[in-house]
Amino acid sequence: MINQAPELSPEERRKRGRSNLTWILLVLAFLLVLAAPTMVVLVMGMLPTLVAFIIDRTKQKSNSFCVGAINFIGVFPYVMDLWGGMNDFSAAVAIIGDFFNLLVMYAAAAFGWFLFLTMPSVISSFVIVMQQRKVAQLRGEQKDLIDEWGAEVAALVEMQKMEKQEHHMAQGMDGMEMETLGD
Amino acid sequence: MANALDQAVETAEAQNVALTPQEGEGSSVATPPPLEPLENTDETAPSDGNGTAEQTATPNGEATPDAQEESVPEQRAKVNKTGIPIPDRGEAQPPLDPAQFPPVALNNRYLVYPSMALPELNSPSAMAYAVEDRREPGRKLFGLVCKPGLPIRSRLMTELKTQGIHGMLPMIDYGPVFWSPIDQTAIVIVFDRPLGGRFIDSFGDRPPRVNEYELGKLIVEPIAQAISQLTQIDFAHRAIRIDNLFFMDKERRELVVGECLTSPPGFDQPPIYEPLDRAYAMPAGRGAGMSYDDMYALGILTVFVLLGYNPAGRLTDDEMLSGKAEFGSYQSLCGSERIPMSMIEPLRGLLSDDEFERWNMEALDSWLNGQKKTPIQRRPAPKPKTALKFAGRSHMTTRSIAHAFCKNIPEAIKVIRNGKLEQWLRSSMQMPELAESLDALITMSKVHEGTPDGSDDVLVSKIAMRLDPKAPIRYKNFSFMPDGFGAALAIEYLRKGNFQIPGEILARDLLSYWFAAQENRTPDLISQDKTFNALRGFAKINEWGYGMERCLYELNRSLPCQSDLLRTAHVEYVEDLLPALNEVADHTDTKARPIDKHIAAYVATHFKYDIAPHLKAITDPKEETSLIGLLSLYALMQWRLKLKSLLGLSSWLGGLLSPAIGTYHSRTTRRKIEQEIPALVRQGSLPELFDLIDNAERRTIDAHDFEEAQIAFAHAEAEIDSTVGEGIDQKKVALEAGEKVTAMIALGISMLATTLIIFVSTM
Repeated sequence: MINQAPELSPEERRKRGRSNLTWILLVLAFLLVLAAPTMVVLVMGMLPTLVAFIIDRTKQKSNSFCVGAINFIGVFPYVMDLWGGMNDFSAAVAIIGDFFNLLVMYAAAAFGWFLFLTMPSVISSFVIVMQQRKVAQLRGEQKDLIDEWGAEVAALVEMQKMEKQEHHMAQGMDGMEMETLGD
Repeated sequence: MANALDQAVETAEAQNVALTPQEGEGSSVATPPPLEPLENTDETAPSDGNGTAEQTATPNGEATPDAQEESVPEQRAKVNKTGIPIPDRGEAQPPLDPAQFPPVALNNRYLVYPSMALPELNSPSAMAYAVEDRREPGRKLFGLVCKPGLPIRSRLMTELKTQGIHGMLPMIDYGPVFWSPIDQTAIVIVFDRPLGGRFIDSFGDRPPRVNEYELGKLIVEPIAQAISQLTQIDFAHRAIRIDNLFFMDKERRELVVGECLTSPPGFDQPPIYEPLDRAYAMPAGRGAGMSYDDMYALGILTVFVLLGYNPAGRLTDDEMLSGKAEFGSYQSLCGSERIPMSMIEPLRGLLSDDEFERWNMEALDSWLNGQKKTPIQRRPAPKPKTALKFAGRSHMTTRSIAHAFCKNIPEAIKVIRNGKLEQWLRSSMQMPELAESLDALITMSKVHEGTPDGSDDVLVSKIAMRLDPKAPIRYKNFSFMPDGFGAALAIEYLRKGNFQIPGEILARDLLSYWFAAQENRTPDLISQDKTFNALRGFAKINEWGYGMERCLYELNRSLPCQSDLLRTAHVEYVEDLLPALNEVADHTDTKARPIDKHIAAYVATHFKYDIAPHLKAITDPKEETSLIGLLSLYALMQWRLKLKSLLGLSSWLGGLLSPAIGTYHSRTTRRKIEQEIPALVRQGSLPELFDLIDNAERRTIDAHDFEEAQIAFAHAEAEIDSTVGEGIDQKKVALEAGEKVTAMIALGISMLATTLIIFVSTM
């Protein structure tokens, strides 16, 4: 049996989200104090990533990572310029004030978006094929086991299935009872 | 006439002309009452309800008008003109073709000829055939072929093979042979042929009468000698009767008593020869008995020979028994006869109904040596003020009423329940204690009403035991003395093919009740009681190796195995069982298992090693467990008994072992075993076959590997489930995976690009 993490309730999730946000804001504030010019460039340059992060409702945040990673390629050369030149607030404003610079940064983010929109479907096709192959291989192994040991080799699995079914039924019954009580 | 018999016959001849006895020699010889010719003298009992019974007389001469209403008991004996019952020994059979029925060899020495029957030497339970001794071709022998299934007296046969008994027909050898006329194996017992023929046949149509002067030397002495020698080896003859006496020599000087081996003790005896308690039992249930019973039979025989007729010849068996119960054996038989003075004393002694008062060998020897003995004063049975009328007869004794009750249960129950019996016991018999105990029995029966223990049959049986404690146990027409239960059980099975009534007797615990009712608890009785307690335990267990079959073999140790599988074989010793099954394997349905309830019970009785686990396995509902149990049992037997190769049985068992092989999970192991079986079958070794089928190491490996295979299967299933299982959207999962991969690629590119940028900018 594969152990799964217990699912969190919406209330808990909200609490945890708030806590994370607090930490991020704290770190940002700290960084803003320590490296304000870099932070200005990064924040302005990676706005598409921030948007992607906000609109990405998935748990894995793959979209945000994808857009963010490519977006960062577009921002990083300017950060390097800043670190290599006058690393002050005016230099940072000058970088972000240049339309071309912003275009480069946002174009990188757009490429990230492009990657995210095209790549997964291609990769998923491969994944599906591989999964099917794996299932076929496992079924073959099971057939070999049955050939050698007879159908009773599946007894354990059958038992587990029965238990699962019984568990589901019991849960269903409990649910029905609760509903009845609620009524 | 030269010999003693002829002299005796000569004397008697003068006194008797056919059916009209005349005055005997001297004043001491009694004149018998006139015997009227019987209408059906050769075939039936003297009074069988055809009117003659109305004229019958009790021993004291009183008429019994109701006699014709008595039911006639099982009549196994013919009665001749003299009224002396002679057991039916079978008619002469048409001769068999010697080519079709060639002689068979017994113990590689004696040739028994099925085509040469000797009907004149037949026994009631065995047919006689000519026998030739290969070593001494001129020797005069004959063989008795026993009825298969009928218990014979093997223990006595074993004794007689090693030591001869003077005064008894010499037994030469015995053993099983395949008897072609019945297509079965039967025991043949070889005897020296009595050249002078049967004693009773020597009289021809004349009454078999011997005067009192010759009787002692000619008849009593040799029979007494036989009884005495048999007693020394702890046996009783139990077949002493007039038609079982032979002359060994042509001159008819040497008289011997015939065989007693071909049937259970007392089985062939007409009831008159049996002491009263044993006579009430059915023939198969009369019990092994003791020398006292032989002495009684000798007394009866003496009366017949002395008088030349049966003084109770006109009575039915029930009337005869009733008379004995009421007046005593001597009085009922000889009371109205003229008995020579010199014979009164021995006859009173031999016919005493109390076995402790009956003459023993010492007393008989004294008499034969001419010494006088104090006559026995018979204590008469207590006389009631009034007789108890039951089933159309007036009964004067509790013995008689007990016997009558057992023959008519519905009527008996009426008399018992309406209090008539109790009243009679109290007022007429002056037996208030007995009446009380019967009352308690009736009350107990009411408590158990509706259950088998409260049935009318059980109640009447118990009441009969109270009324007549010495009488046999009588239940649903199955009557037996405890020492005759084994033979009765065997014959009941032989006749009916089931153990219904004996089983009920054990279940109702009637035997314990009988033992409890006995006044004198002798060591023999105590030992028998213990045996029956053990048997009751066996009977209760409804598994192979136990039940009534086990009781049958425990009580009849020499009884061959009665299994249907061994119908054509004769298995008397457990060592012969597997070879016999090996023999029948070639011509039997090998789809059936080579075991049944009888074989299991036989092995459990005779095989001295503990086979309880094997029997438990055999009775297991799972076929494979049962087969492995069977194979393990036979393998153990072959090993322990050091039996040679059993090809047929190995092949038989090998063919049945598929379910047992199926107990291995691995198909490869199964195939391997199946491939190895033929080679082991060819060796005929059951232990090796068992080792192949039930090898502990192989079984452990198989179980372990199977467990691992189950786990592997479960893992595979879990993996499949996680990929394409229920509730899983494969496309969605794949897309999510794609998204993750894309994110990873993007991160990778990002890291690579960042590194490059750093590298380029620092150059």
